[in-house]
Amino acid sequence: MASKRIYKELTECTTSPPPDMKVCLWNESDLHTWKVALAGPASSVYEGGNYAVLVTLPTDYPFKPPTVRILTRIYHPNVTNDNLGNICLSILKPENWKPATKVSAVLQAVRQLLVEPQPDDPLEARIADEYRNDRNEFEKNARQYVTRYARGPPVFGDAPPAAEKSK
Amino acid sequence: MDDSDGAEERFTELAALEAIFPEIKKHDDPSAVSFSLDLPVHPSNPITVTYPAASGTAELTTATLTGSDEEAPGAMDSQVLAHLPAVNLRLSLPEGYPAERPPSVTISTTPPWLPLETTKKLEEEGPRMWEEMGHNMVAFAYIDHVQQAAENVFGLINDDGTLGVDPRHMISILDYDVRARRETFERETFDCGVCLEPKKGAVCHRMLECGHVFCTACLQDFYKTAITEGDLAVVRCLTPNCAKDRAAAQAEAGSGKRRRVRAFLSPSELLQMGLSQEIVSRYVTLKYKTELESDKNTIYCPRSWCDGAARSKKHKKPEGLELVEVSDDEEAEKSDEKDDKGKKTKKSEDPSERLAICEDCGFAFCSRCFQSWHGEFFLCIPRRDSDEITPEEQASIDYIAHHTTSCPTCGVPSQKTRGCNHMICFRCQTHFCYLCAAWLPPASPFEHYNERPDGSRTGCYMRLWELENGDGNDVGYGFLGGRANNRRRGRNQAVAVPRVREVVNVDDEDGPARPEGDDQQQQNAEVAVALEAPLVLRIGGQAPPRDQQPRGRGRGQGAGRPLATPAPPAADQAARGGRGGAIGRGTGGDFRNGGRRIPVRMRGRLDDALHPADAAWVRNFVEMALNDEENSEDSDDEEMPIVAPLVH
Repeated sequence: MASKRIYKELTECTTSPPPDMKVCLWNESDLHTWKVALAGPASSVYEGGNYAVLVTLPTDYPFKPPTVRILTRIYHPNVTNDNLGNICLSILKPENWKPATKVSAVLQAVRQLLVEPQPDDPLEARIADEYRNDRNEFEKNARQYVTRYARGPPVFGDAPPAAEKSK
Repeated sequence: MDDSDGAEERFTELAALEAIFPEIKKHDDPSAVSFSLDLPVHPSNPITVTYPAASGTAELTTATLTGSDEEAPGAMDSQVLAHLPAVNLRLSLPEGYPAERPPSVTISTTPPWLPLETTKKLEEEGPRMWEEMGHNMVAFAYIDHVQQAAENVFGLINDDGTLGVDPRHMISILDYDVRARRETFERETFDCGVCLEPKKGAVCHRMLECGHVFCTACLQDFYKTAITEGDLAVVRCLTPNCAKDRAAAQAEAGSGKRRRVRAFLSPSELLQMGLSQEIVSRYVTLKYKTELESDKNTIYCPRSWCDGAARSKKHKKPEGLELVEVSDDEEAEKSDEKDDKGKKTKKSEDPSERLAICEDCGFAFCSRCFQSWHGEFFLCIPRRDSDEITPEEQASIDYIAHHTTSCPTCGVPSQKTRGCNHMICFRCQTHFCYLCAAWLPPASPFEHYNERPDGSRTGCYMRLWELENGDGNDVGYGFLGGRANNRRRGRNQAVAVPRVREVVNVDDEDGPARPEGDDQQQQNAEVAVALEAPLVLRIGGQAPPRDQQPRGRGRGQGAGRPLATPAPPAADQAARGGRGGAIGRGTGGDFRNGGRRIPVRMRGRLDDALHPADAAWVRNFVEMALNDEENSEDSDDEEMPIVAPLVH
């Protein structure tokens, strides 16, 4: 059942992708690892950035939630400020996951997180504080990251990084 | 026109009708062409059906509680139904129809929920239409007419939009509706949100609470995994934000009663989805367990092998596969909480409420002190968690553990202030050994310390007089009273602060004014205060006459004096003087007359291991040594007689 559903979702995501995104498989033989190129949403501080997003679907997907990581460095309260790019998204927490949630909905939630960070549920407490208390500084830093890391086409690397769950 | 023509026309009409309504049933009737047909009654909008108490068919204008098509669980039963039992139409086209004779019509429903008047009116309309149509073939027009009438339920709907039906038919009408809905559902096609496949309704399940539809295969897979893994929180609708959206919708609707949206699934619904009995009963059990564990007020059975929960009004133990629901009503819960708080603050709680009965093993116990139920009129001390215990109390508890032995029958901790190790429980008169808490036969209590007739010995052999000066602080911690082993009992490291009774010495004829002994008794007095306990123990057999004179201060007092509040061991100076000796029942017992004290303080089984001859020598030696000491310290008449080995 899983691969049938994944295949359907993939078709849906490639033919009519969510806004600002391009979706494909990491390699054709593995339905469970997706590459998503996400363009920083217009009018957000991430505008102009190109982000490499890795979506990994577990073997018991859709019963267990997928994991999503932003491989491109990004300055964001809800994304770890490291090479892993783990992301904190409530719908992806195991206790909140609903099997009827589709990957496209997850991706849209990720995009929405760039538009509207959630400083109350942060992975990077310092950035969250800055976001709340010194928005100008935050925006400056975020833009700097965009220029420094996210200008070119999204870089995925050769092989999908091993899935690591940090939180 | 002749008969055959008539018959011809009738059969032509029937054939046409059969083409339109393939479900027509023909009846064998020699005198007429007769057939029947079920016409479904599906109101264009679901209709609220009420059951006015007035039975019969005339009174239909009864006011109902519902104006909307919302289900209103009120004083009167009402349901929103989409399907009413079909109307059965039986038409007979007699000879001479259509030219000369009208068709005859019989209308019925099962159950007969249609009022008699309505059926009669409908039946009469057949011939009337035949008349109006100029004695022509009328069957199809008539059937069509009834069908249309059925759409607005034959005009039976009241002004307030409800339909009144005789309460006698409630069950079968409901049943019909359920079946009809199911059939419609099964014919439909749904996109399962999990496997994203279109599925026939027959292999789907509509969630009872929210109406979302999934295929049963996905539901079974998902819930089975979740329940097996014990992940109960996800046993709910699989649609994202389902409960949240429903709650929002409800808040928006602002319905008067703010019922909490129920997110979890009922066991019966899981069974409906086709989950196995085994999985569902696991679900029920786990659910109940979680519920108990999340309630701070849950009381558990103190029996360590049981661990059942006490029966409670709030959480009912599930019976079979039915999960007894905790009231969903927030308000009810709030008032419950208030009640609880009120009870906690109120000192005058009903003592009978302290009775708790274990659901699993049926053990009746006190929810306050966690001892077996002692009746309402018994003052007991609440069990507390270890973190609530002050250092002083902890010291008391430690002291009890170190320096008391519990009666093997009633469990009351007892402390020996002086004398031999044959004890009699003040509370229950059990004879026991202070060293090992063994029962002693009242008839021959000292056998325990001697060689038995068969030559065997206990671990207490020759230790009758161990701890002669009492079991107290100055005696040291060498001997961990019998309770030491029991200390771990109880959940959450909760510690029962037990009742301790004072010990009365057996062998007190010489009891008084030994400085050492006195000092020790004072110590003990303090201890007893610290243990906040009434006093208990009496030791020994019958008192030899000469012991009856109380000697020394404090003698004869204090037995059974309860002390109400805990006090640190060194604090209560006043109580000290008052209690003094803690002696009183001068009981020496015959054994005393033997005068054998064997204050051998050797531990363990050394005695057992010694050769009798060596043992005798050791005893002699020790006794002499002790004797010297006593002679120097103790001016009383009391000198230890030099003693031969204990009586055989």
